[in-house]
Amino acid sequence: MSEFLFYLLSVIALVGGLGVIFSKSPMGSVLSLLLSFFALAVVYLLAGFAFMAAVQILVYAGAIMVLFLFVIMLLNLGGMGTRFELSAAPLSSSRAKLAAVVAAGVGLAGLIAAQRASLPALPEGGAPERIDDIQQIAIALFGRYSLPFQAVSLLLLVTMVAVLVLAKRRGKESAQ
Amino acid sequence: MNVPSEHLFFLSAGLFALGVLGFLVRRNVIVALMCVELMLNAANLAFLAASRSHSRADALDLQGPVFSIFVITVAAAEAAVGLALVIALYRLKQSVETDSASEMKG
Repeated sequence: MSEFLFYLLSVIALVGGLGVIFSKSPMGSVLSLLLSFFALAVVYLLAGFAFMAAVQILVYAGAIMVLFLFVIMLLNLGGMGTRFELSAAPLSSSRAKLAAVVAAGVGLAGLIAAQRASLPALPEGGAPERIDDIQQIAIALFGRYSLPFQAVSLLLLVTMVAVLVLAKRRGKESAQ
Repeated sequence: MNVPSEHLFFLSAGLFALGVLGFLVRRNVIVALMCVELMLNAANLAFLAASRSHSRADALDLQGPVFSIFVITVAAAEAAVGLALVIALYRLKQSVETDSASEMKG
């Protein structure tokens, strides 16, 4: 049963990814991406990562996608405007064909690498039911990975300052 | 779930290829940023699949979830800076197409 659910959700995630690319309006892209993220969250849950599924929904679907929606609505880009290219014939130009070839090559390389990767076989009775123990993750984050943890917090501070600088309206230039 | 971990990697490769395709094809900057998010999600899935395939009931491998958390943090920072750049571009050009910023084209 859960195997069938996994393959069903994989298809849903891939369809959501396709929807991001071929949707006419950016609003449709955002909603397709949300579908893909929710499907991936359930895939995480099935694979034994309950905490990562919750993080996926809270951070990705809850915070990052809201940021995208906010900017799209702020700039008033949500409609089926004609300013978006690729609405009629997505793969007509030679540039799009080249892009499709590159993407297919990347995907094929990934498939071959995944096929040839020397993964250890799953133990008898399948993988562990629950892999991401929150206590163990916290011990790892504040112990072995405390230096990357601090680097990432510094990154967040720098990001905050950078966003303020970039998005702040400069009085002199906006008056022109 | 008794699905082999390779199939998680296959899903990850598919999502990453879709992200690459969208990033190269779409000219709308916001949609291109969404495709970057899709690629980062594929990377997360690959980390978790590797962690799953190396985990045993008595010895869990937690490097996958830990690195996924770092990737999610970087993705959030990337989205914030990218969207701030989109707002700055829109203010300058009244457009969010990549073709509208071509002053430095050689």
